[in-house]
Amino acid sequence: MLTRLKTQVPLFSMNSYTKLREKLKLSGLSLASTHSHVIRLGRHSRHNSKMAVCIAVIAKENYPLFIRSVPVQNELKFHYTVHTSLDVVEEKISAVGKAMADQRELYLGLLYPTEDYKVYGYVTNSKVKFVIVVDSSNTSLRDNEIRSMFRKLHNSFTDVMCNPFYNPGDTIQSKAFDSIVSAMMVQAS
Amino acid sequence: MAQCVQSVQEFIQDSFVPMVAVLCSEDAEKVTRKNNLNFSELLRPFCRLTSEGHMRDPSNQLQVVKNLRISVNNVVTRPSVPSSGVPGHAHRRLLSEVVLTCQPAEGGVANVITAGDYDLNISATTPWFEAYRESFLQSMPASDHEFLNHYLACLLVVSSSEAVPVEKFLKLSQEQHRIQHSGEYTNPKWFIPNTLKYYVLLHDMSQGDEQRADSVYEDMKQRYGAQGCYLLKVNSRTAAAGADEQIPDPWSQYLHKSSLQSQVQLGLAPSYGVLVNSLDNTHPLQLDTPSDTPGSLDALRAVAVETKPPPLTTGVAAATSHGACLTLNDHDRIRLFIQEFTFRGLLPHIEKNIRQLNDQLVSRKGLSRSLFSATKKWFGGGKVPEKSIAELKNTSGLLYPPEAPELQIRKMADLCFLVQLYDLAYSCYHTAKKDFLSDQAMLYAAGALEMAAVSAFLQVGAPRPYPAHYMDTAIQTYRDVSKNMVLAERCALLSAEVLKSQAKYSDAATLLIKMTSEDSDLRSALLLEQAAHCFINMRNPMVRKFAFHMILAGHRFSKAGQKRHALRCYCQAMQVYKGKGWSLAEDHINFTIGRQSFTLRQPENAVTAFRHILTNDSQQTSTQQGAFLREYLYVYKNVTGACEVALPQLPLPCINSSATRVYFGHERRLAEGEKQAATHVSLDQEFDRDLAAMWQDLEEQVVAAAKRGVVPATFQSTQCCLNSQTDNLRFPLAVVEEPIIVEVVFRNPLKVPLVLSDLSLLWKFTLKDFNRPQTQEDSVGDAVPISNEKEASVPRVRKDDVIATEVISEFYLSPEETKLARLKLLPHQTGQLNILGLVYNLASTSSTGDTTINSPSAAEGTSVRGRQDLEIQGPRLNQTKEEKTSVSHGPDRRLDPTITPPMPLLEVFFLQFPTALLCGEIRKAYVEFCNMSRVTLCGLRVASTHPDFFTFGSSSLATPLTPLSPTSFENCSAYKTLATPPGATPGSVAAVTLVSEGDFGSGTGLRGGVSGAGTGGKGITEIPLGEGTLKPGESTQLPMWLRGPDQEGVHEIHFLFYYESAEKGGKISHRVLRHTVFICASRSLSVRATACRSNTLPEEEEEERNGSMLVFVDVENINSSEAGVREFHIAQVSSSSKQWRLHKCINPAEDKDCKLTSRERGKLCFRATRCKPLQAFPFSKSGVSSLQIITSTTPCADFFFRRCQPLESLRPPVAMETQGRHSRSQGVGHGGGDKDIAGVVRKCNEVDLDIIILWKAFVVEDNKQVILEGQLHVALQTIDKEACSLTPKEEAQEMVLLKFKPELPPPMTRPSMEQLSHLIKTNLQYPESYSHPFNQKSLCMVPVTLTLSNCSLAQVDVIIDLRHKTTSPESLEVHGSFTWLGQTQFKMQLGAQEVMRVQLRACFLHAGVYNLGTPRVFAKLADQGAMCETSQQTATPALIIIINST
Repeated sequence: MLTRLKTQVPLFSMNSYTKLREKLKLSGLSLASTHSHVIRLGRHSRHNSKMAVCIAVIAKENYPLFIRSVPVQNELKFHYTVHTSLDVVEEKISAVGKAMADQRELYLGLLYPTEDYKVYGYVTNSKVKFVIVVDSSNTSLRDNEIRSMFRKLHNSFTDVMCNPFYNPGDTIQSKAFDSIVSAMMVQAS
Repeated sequence: MAQCVQSVQEFIQDSFVPMVAVLCSEDAEKVTRKNNLNFSELLRPFCRLTSEGHMRDPSNQLQVVKNLRISVNNVVTRPSVPSSGVPGHAHRRLLSEVVLTCQPAEGGVANVITAGDYDLNISATTPWFEAYRESFLQSMPASDHEFLNHYLACLLVVSSSEAVPVEKFLKLSQEQHRIQHSGEYTNPKWFIPNTLKYYVLLHDMSQGDEQRADSVYEDMKQRYGAQGCYLLKVNSRTAAAGADEQIPDPWSQYLHKSSLQSQVQLGLAPSYGVLVNSLDNTHPLQLDTPSDTPGSLDALRAVAVETKPPPLTTGVAAATSHGACLTLNDHDRIRLFIQEFTFRGLLPHIEKNIRQLNDQLVSRKGLSRSLFSATKKWFGGGKVPEKSIAELKNTSGLLYPPEAPELQIRKMADLCFLVQLYDLAYSCYHTAKKDFLSDQAMLYAAGALEMAAVSAFLQVGAPRPYPAHYMDTAIQTYRDVSKNMVLAERCALLSAEVLKSQAKYSDAATLLIKMTSEDSDLRSALLLEQAAHCFINMRNPMVRKFAFHMILAGHRFSKAGQKRHALRCYCQAMQVYKGKGWSLAEDHINFTIGRQSFTLRQPENAVTAFRHILTNDSQQTSTQQGAFLREYLYVYKNVTGACEVALPQLPLPCINSSATRVYFGHERRLAEGEKQAATHVSLDQEFDRDLAAMWQDLEEQVVAAAKRGVVPATFQSTQCCLNSQTDNLRFPLAVVEEPIIVEVVFRNPLKVPLVLSDLSLLWKFTLKDFNRPQTQEDSVGDAVPISNEKEASVPRVRKDDVIATEVISEFYLSPEETKLARLKLLPHQTGQLNILGLVYNLASTSSTGDTTINSPSAAEGTSVRGRQDLEIQGPRLNQTKEEKTSVSHGPDRRLDPTITPPMPLLEVFFLQFPTALLCGEIRKAYVEFCNMSRVTLCGLRVASTHPDFFTFGSSSLATPLTPLSPTSFENCSAYKTLATPPGATPGSVAAVTLVSEGDFGSGTGLRGGVSGAGTGGKGITEIPLGEGTLKPGESTQLPMWLRGPDQEGVHEIHFLFYYESAEKGGKISHRVLRHTVFICASRSLSVRATACRSNTLPEEEEEERNGSMLVFVDVENINSSEAGVREFHIAQVSSSSKQWRLHKCINPAEDKDCKLTSRERGKLCFRATRCKPLQAFPFSKSGVSSLQIITSTTPCADFFFRRCQPLESLRPPVAMETQGRHSRSQGVGHGGGDKDIAGVVRKCNEVDLDIIILWKAFVVEDNKQVILEGQLHVALQTIDKEACSLTPKEEAQEMVLLKFKPELPPPMTRPSMEQLSHLIKTNLQYPESYSHPFNQKSLCMVPVTLTLSNCSLAQVDVIIDLRHKTTSPESLEVHGSFTWLGQTQFKMQLGAQEVMRVQLRACFLHAGVYNLGTPRVFAKLADQGAMCETSQQTATPALIIIINST
C-alpha cells in the first residue's frame, strides 16, 4: 500500500508524505496495542532484547507442539499471535505451486508485523511449522540471523524426532531442544 | 465483510440523497398529529420513488433518474453534532441502542463455511452492522466542506382549516428565509441561497370543508404556479369508523429510529428509560428478546424497568395508532404528492441550478481560474514545500467563503451526484480536488477525493478503475489532519463496501482494522467483526485471522456494553479454537464466554463454558485455575439458586467410575489385643485373580461338602468386594442391616485443592418383601421407588428409616491428587437398591487471595451442591460374532445390590495365634466364633488350602474341649501325657492303642455320617459347635491345634469358614468368611528312617511269627538359628501301622532322652514286629522319655491322619491306584497277583509303617526358656529304602510325568533278581556246637531245621537243593566237608506268609567248624508259568562247631 501511495498519489510534499507514512506505519496494525487488554495483559516492559521473544513449533495438523515465550505473562497473547500467523503460513505455502513444492524454500520470511512484534515463519518439508516472534523494536536482527535461528531450530527438532522414545505428535519435552530454544530467547531482564 | 441486504450501488445512493426541509404550521401539525405522526414522519415511508424521473444535464442530454429517494426532515435549528467531528454522547448512545436492539434472530440461518479442516457455522449477514451504518450515515452532521446533506428545498405546510392559509404560507416562507439568511442559525445548512419553496396545503378530510380547500388551492396555484404548490388530502377515515379495518402500517419500521434520532438530536429525551422503552415496544425484533427477564441486559435496561409502567401504556398506544386516520387512498395520495413534488418541483430546481453553476464555472474557467493557478505556479511554485508545513498546521481551520469558486465546483458536483449524474460529478470532484490540494485545503481535498472515488465507482460502464487510493488518502486526511473521525469512518465504510464488492477482501479488512481506535469501542467492535468476515470470505479463507479478529471484536463489544454481540463473537471464534490443541486460547475464550453468558443470564451456557476450562487438563497456572474455579462456583451457585428442581451435575472432581469398588458387610475390625479377627475381605486388599479363583474353588468344595457332595447348579461364589475385575453380571446380594460400602476414586485435575463437603451417595430403592410369596400385585404395589435425590439437595436431611446414608462432612483433595472415598449405606429394609451417584458440596479453598471476579460474593467459601452420577460400563462383550464386530458392553450391576432378609453373620477371632513355627511344631491356639446377627447360625465348616495345618481335635474321645484358660496355657503341653510306671525302664515300654481313623474326622470321614466319598471334601472340616448352632449374639471358643508346615519358609494359609442360616429358603444359601494367615516355618529336625529285615527267627508268640524288622531312625537337628533353639529332645517315637508295631528301643546310649544341639545327629534303633492285620490304626509307642505321650489322642493323631491326605490327594489317579493295590488292602491277597509279579514281589518288601517322632525343643525367648513341642512323621514303605520326614521335591516331577502319559500302563518290568531273591526268607536252626564222640561213632549226625518263611502274599514254589557243595578249595580247607543226609532236594509250596520247617540232617566225619549255609533255595511264584526261579539270598555263613568229645 505504501508503494501505491508513493507512485499514484504524489499529492503531498515529501515532508507531509513521510509524516503520513510514519503514521501509516504506526497505525498499520495497531491491534496489539489496542487489544492487549483482551488478553488481560498490559504491555510488557520493553527490554533490551537481542533475540526472539516467542518460539513455537506447530504440528502438521496445526496444533502446538511447543510454545515458549518470554515474558511468561504474555503467553496467551503469543498463543493468539502464533495461531493467527498460521493463516499466513498456509497462504504462503499454497502460493507456491504444487510442482514447485519440493524446491520451496523452507524459510518463509516475515509473516506479518504487528505493532510490537515481527513474526517469522519456517515450514519443514513435513509441514511442521516453526514460528519465531521478534520484538519489532529489535532492529539488530537481520534476515540472515533469523534464518540461521530457524536452521538451528530445525536441526534440534530433527534430533528430537530421531529420539526413538519420542512419539511423533506429542508435545516436545526434550531438554536439549529446550536449551536450544532458551539460548535463542531473551531472558526477561 | 458480511453480506448486506442492499447492493453497493443502492447503499451508496441511499447514503447521499437530496434533503428536503419541512416547515409546518401548527394547524397542519395538528392534522398530522391525529395519526401520531408529524408531517415529515408522515411522508417518510413514501420517500422512495418507484417511477423514473427525467432531467437534462448541462449539455442538454436527457438523463434518467432511477430509484431516487429523498429525505424529508423537520427543520431543526440546533446543531446535532459538534462540528469538531467527535460525535456527541447522545449520538453515541443512539448508535449503541441501534446495535443493541438489532440482534441475530434466534433460529437465524447460519451458513456453514468449510475452510481446510474447519467447518464453521457463521451467520453470513450482520444486520446490526447495517443498522448501525444506516443510523450513522443518517445522523451525519452537515458540514461546510460538502453540500450533500444540505437542504435543497423546503416544504411549507399549512392546514386548510387555517383562517387565511395564504397568509400563513407567507409567514412560513419568511420564517424559512430568516433561518437561512439571517445568520442566526448555523444549522440547518442550505444548499443554495434560493432554496426551493414548495407550498403544501394539507386538508383534513374528516373535518374541513373540501371545497374551501380546493378554492384555496386554486388561489395558491395562481400565486405560486402549478408546480410550486400542492393540495394534500389526508385523514379520510374517522378514527371511530373503521377501527377494525386492517391498514398496513408502513411507519413502524421507520419510526423507532427516527423518533430516537429526533429525540436524541433535540435533546428531548426526558428520561432515557422512556426512550428505551418506547423503542422496545415499537421494535419488531423486540418479540425475539425475552422481555420477562428483568434487569437482563445492563444498567440501561435496568433503568427502563424501573420506569416501566407509565411509558409502557403510552408507548403502546402511540405504537398502535400510527396512521390511524389514513386509508389506503390517503397512502396513495401521499405517494403521489411526493412524486409530484420531486419530479415537478425538486428535479427541475436541481436541473436549473446545475445549469447555472455550470455556466458560472465555464465562464470563469477560461481566465481567472487558469490565470490564478498559472501565476501561482510561476511565482510561488518553488516555495510550496516550505510553505505547506506551516499551512498544514492550520488547514483544518482554513475556510473558504461560501461563495468561493472552489466551493461552487464542489456544489455542482454534489448536485450532480445527488441526481445520479455520476460522470459529471466525477469530473467536477476531480477538478475540485485539484484546486483544494493546490490550496492545501486538506479537509476539502479529502472530501472531494472521497466523492470522486465514489462517483467513479458508480459510473455506469466503469470507464475508469475505482481509485482506491483516493479513499485511502481521504481517510488519512480526515483522520490525521482534520481529526474528524466521523468523516473518516464514513469514508472507510464506503470504501470497504466498494472493495468488498470488488472482492478485495484483504484490502477491505486492512482498511477496517485501521479504523479501529480507542475512542469508540462500538465502532471498533463492528469494524473488527466486519474485518473478520472479510478474512473468512477471502478466496482462501483465513480462518484463524477470522477467529482472532472475532475475539478482538468480542472484546470491544463487551467494552461497549454490547454483551450479546460480544458473546456471539466469542462463540463464533470458539469454533476455530475448539479442540485444536490451543488450550490456552481455548480456556481464555471459554472463560470469557462463561462470564458473558452469566451476565446475560444464560447460566447454563456459562456453566458449560466454565466446565470446559475445568475439566480439560489445562496448562493454566494454579492461580488462574483457582480463579476459574471460584468463578465457576459462583456462577454455578446462581444457577442452582434459580432452579431448585434437580441437582445439576458437577464436573469436578473427576471420578474414575470403573474403578469403583463395592463392599458388602461391616468393615473389618482390626486385631484387638490378643484377639485377632479373621482377615476376611477388605477394601484395602488388592484384587488378585489367582486368589479369587482359589477362594472360589475352596467355596465350591465346602458347598459340595455341605450339600452332600453336589454343587448346586445355581452356585455362585460369594463376592464380598466387587470391582472392575469381578463378575458383575448378576445383581449382588446384600443383607439388610449390614452396610454397603462404596469406594469411589476421585481425581483432582486442577492445580488447586478442592474441598468436598457433605459427601454422600445418591440412591433409589424399591421395597420388596422376600419373605412373602411374590404375587403380581405385590410387586406392582411395592414398586414405588424411594430415592434420596430430593433430600440430597439439602444436606443432612435424609431418609434414614429406609437406608441410612453416611455423610462425609469434609473431603479434601490436594492439587492433582487421586484419592479414594468410602461411603456407607446401611439398608434397613429389604428390596432392590440402585446406587445412582454422589452428591456433595464443591468448594475451592481460600488459599489464593486474588479473586478475579468482580462480584464480591464470589469470594472464598463459595460452595455449591451438585451431583455426579456413577455410570459404570460393563465389560465389552466378545462372545458372538456380532458382539465381536460391534462394540457392545455388558451390564455391570455392581451398584445395584438386592437387599435380602437378615442372615447370620459370623465373626471369627483367633487367640494366641502364632506367626512363626518350627517345622512340625504343635501349638495350641483358640478360635472364637461369634454370631453377630439376629439369626441363628448353623452348619459351620471350614475349608483350607492347608488342611494339615490345623485341627479342632476330635470329639469322640473324651478330650476336654474347654481349655483351662488360654492364659495358663504356656506351661501346659499340647499333648496328653501318661506317667509311665516307675519300674519300667524307659524305652522298653511299648503301649498299643487302637484308634479308628474316622474318629479324627480327617477329611473323608465326615461326622455327619456321610462316609468319606471323597468328592472334593478333602480339606473340609466341620467345626464342632456346642449344639451345631450358634444363637444370635452367642460366641464359642474352641481350642485349635496348629502344626508347623513341614516345609520351611513362609506359608500363606487360607481358611474359608462356611455357614448357613438356621432358617432355610433365604435368597442367600450360605455365607462365607475368609481368613488368611502367614506362617513362617523354620527348620527343626530332619528325620530319616530305614527299615531293615532282621534275620532272627520270630519269637515264640504266634502273632509275631512272621518276621520282624529293624527300624533305624536318624534324627538331625537342622535348625539354623542357634540363638533361639538351644536343643531338641526326642521325647517319644510312636508308630502307626496296620501290620507293624514298634517294639522297644534298642538304644546304645544309656541316656534317657536323646538330646540334639545344633547340627547334631542321633540315631535310634527300634525293632518292629508284624502283627495281625487290623482295621483300625494301632498306635504303638516307644517312648524315650519317662512321660508317655498318648499319641492316639487329639492333636497328635489328628495331625498324623491329616498328614496322609495331601500325599494322596496330590497323586494323580494312576498313582493312587497302584498304591492302593499294595497298601492297606489286606484282603485282596494274591487275587490279582498273577498279572503283576512285580507288585506281588514288591509287596513282600513293603512295610507300611508310619513313624511319629515327638520332640521337644528348648527355646530361649526373651531370656525365658520355653519348651516347644512338635511331631514329625516318616512313612516307611519299602524295606531298605530310606524315608525322610521332609517331603522329597521330585514328587512333583513324577506327577507331571504321569500326567503327560496317562495311557501308559504301569511299567511291567520283570522284577529283578534281587527283588525276587527276597521272596523267601530262610533260617537254619541248629545247635551252635555239637559234641560228638567220633571215636565211638564215626559219623556225627546233627539235626538241622531249615525254616522257610514266605515274605510275599502269593503262593511260592520253593525248591531246596542240598546237593550243592562248595567247590572252592579255600572253603574246603577252611571248613572241611560234610554231607546232607536223607532227601537232598525238596519241592514244596508255601502259602502266603507261610512258615515251614524242614528237618534236615547233616552228617560230619570230623570234628571242626563247618558252614551249614550250603542249602540253596530257589523260589518262584506258584502261578507263574515260566520257571524263573531265583536262588534266594544265601544265608550268612552258618557255622557249626563239632567237638570231638572224648
